[in-house]
Amino acid sequence: MSETKGGVAGVQEQTRSVRELICISGLKVIFSSRSGPVRAVDSVDLAIREGERIGLIGESGSGKTVTGMAILGLLPVNAVIIGKIRYGDYDLLTAPDRTLQQIRGNEIAMISQNSGSSLNPVMKIGDQVAEPLVIHRICSVPDAHREAIRILAELGFDDPEQAATRYPHEFSGGMRERILIAIALVCRPHLIVADEPTAGLDAQVRARILKLITSQISGNRTLFLITHDLGAASYLCDRIAVMYAGEIVECGPAKDVLSLPLHPYTQGLIASLPSAGLHPIPGMSPSPASLPRGCRFCERCPAVLDRCDCDHPELVFTESGRQVRCFHYD
Amino acid sequence: MISGKYLLQRLCYSGASFIVCLTITFFLLHLMPGDYISNYLLSLSNTLPKEIVDQFREQFGLNLPLTQQYVLYLGNILHGQWGYSYAYGQPVLSMIFGKLCWSLVLLVPATILGILIGTVIGAWSGWKSGGKKDFAVFNVMIVIRAIPEFWWAIMAVMIFAFYLQWFPLGGYASISVLSTGLDFFDVLHHALLPIILMTFFIATGNYYVMRNSMIAVIGEDYITTARAKGLDERTILWRHALKNALLPMVTITTFQCAGIIMGNIFIETVFSWPGIGYLTTQALTNRDLPLLEGIFLLDSLITIGAMLVADILSSAIDPRIRMGTDE
Repeated sequence: MSETKGGVAGVQEQTRSVRELICISGLKVIFSSRSGPVRAVDSVDLAIREGERIGLIGESGSGKTVTGMAILGLLPVNAVIIGKIRYGDYDLLTAPDRTLQQIRGNEIAMISQNSGSSLNPVMKIGDQVAEPLVIHRICSVPDAHREAIRILAELGFDDPEQAATRYPHEFSGGMRERILIAIALVCRPHLIVADEPTAGLDAQVRARILKLITSQISGNRTLFLITHDLGAASYLCDRIAVMYAGEIVECGPAKDVLSLPLHPYTQGLIASLPSAGLHPIPGMSPSPASLPRGCRFCERCPAVLDRCDCDHPELVFTESGRQVRCFHYD
Repeated sequence: MISGKYLLQRLCYSGASFIVCLTITFFLLHLMPGDYISNYLLSLSNTLPKEIVDQFREQFGLNLPLTQQYVLYLGNILHGQWGYSYAYGQPVLSMIFGKLCWSLVLLVPATILGILIGTVIGAWSGWKSGGKKDFAVFNVMIVIRAIPEFWWAIMAVMIFAFYLQWFPLGGYASISVLSTGLDFFDVLHHALLPIILMTFFIATGNYYVMRNSMIAVIGEDYITTARAKGLDERTILWRHALKNALLPMVTITTFQCAGIIMGNIFIETVFSWPGIGYLTTQALTNRDLPLLEGIFLLDSLITIGAMLVADILSSAIDPRIRMGTDE
């Protein structure tokens, strides 16, 4: 199998390019609920550059998983989606199902959370790992199985031939996460959307999985990591975007964002880490069904200004080229 | 998949459950008000001589205390001796097997068709859940299921047999059977209406289970994983969803297949069909206890066997079920 491929979107792999692989603009995802429309994602603009490893961090319900699912076109049918997600010549939000099916798994792959339930319980591991190769007609069924065994070996299975004939329940959480990574990587996609790949794993296993992801995602491969695990994000990512209540509140190089956070929310997140003394942010994030008119963080913000209450801040560039959504940097 | 030790253990439990079933059946049936003499013999003649009654009681051991009757009965059953019918004086087992083939004529096709139709429509409906077609099918199924089957049977007889005269009113063969012998097409003509009715009823029951099971499977994370791989919806349905959704069906359909042996009391009664269900109704009205006990014991045996079969089948489909190896 060759490293380079054209793909339906005609994306050419180039060395050291800063081309935008995915460009999300004005993405809004609204779910209807009994208590009115829920704005899970609100006006997200984000470019994923080719070859970069970008992390989207935020707490549960901030809209990060919904953003990831929107890229893959896997949002539930009851979601109202507005905006554009440009990938090559396509808008992933309006592309026909057939096109999306050709892109998914082959060019954009997902490592899902919940390793316990994301594998089909009644299907052998080998078949599940080989399946993307077979359906995208990259190789024949026997070749796909050989490739599946190869990638399982690469991901640290001691006896990959035997592992391929076993079922998901026979593996530990860490091993199942590796299987999910194998499924995502087997077609050598351009972009990997990893949704909480370290959720529910103990510290040692988590460290091994993170190492594995770094070693596998190199060169031109692009990683879009969705996590609330700041440690994982700082270890894996070049760039970090912070989400709060459906909006991106800060975006910049990983090192800068984590060492010198600009937005009060990011500052709070970092202060709440055990290593920083475990100071949680007081209060709760607003319900996406009834968002405040002004800044969405103003109720919990320690540095709140008068205008935060009624005016909604825009995501602005600072002098150093970072982005932040806060009136302190206007 | 299934160890010998586990199988042996299961067989012992099965034997024990059979004895418990036998005991409960025996005492429950003796708790019923009235007996064969008061319910049946006295209805034939009001002046039944006492000597005849006494002779009858002695013949069938009814003069003994109930506990002694129970011990005798238990011993006989374990020796394969299932007793004699009060009303017919014939061995209970041969009577049951004589009627069994007539129940099979109705229930084998109805059960197989019902399971197939119910499962397929249920799977489709669950996959399309929330859509207009699913909504329509779902509500039709509710109407069919919500009205008892004997009502449908009576309606069907009235419309298709009485008014339209497409089918005979009841029975299993025309009067010509006396001169020409049994004819396949004649029996089929008699059996068709009850088979169709039972198929509908069995199908609706399976439809609900399959639909719910499919809806549960659709929400599972591995379906999202399958979509993320780039599979099209049809492949996801057949390769990933169906096998998982079938798991709860295994137990239910195994019991339905076991139920074939038990006949169908309502349908057989409405259509005067000479099967096990009809035999049960007759035995019940006559208080023909040995016959009733025989029918119920056969039911228990079949059900106990079906449980074992269902376990083995489930473990064949679902690798997570490894019976007897978790100790």
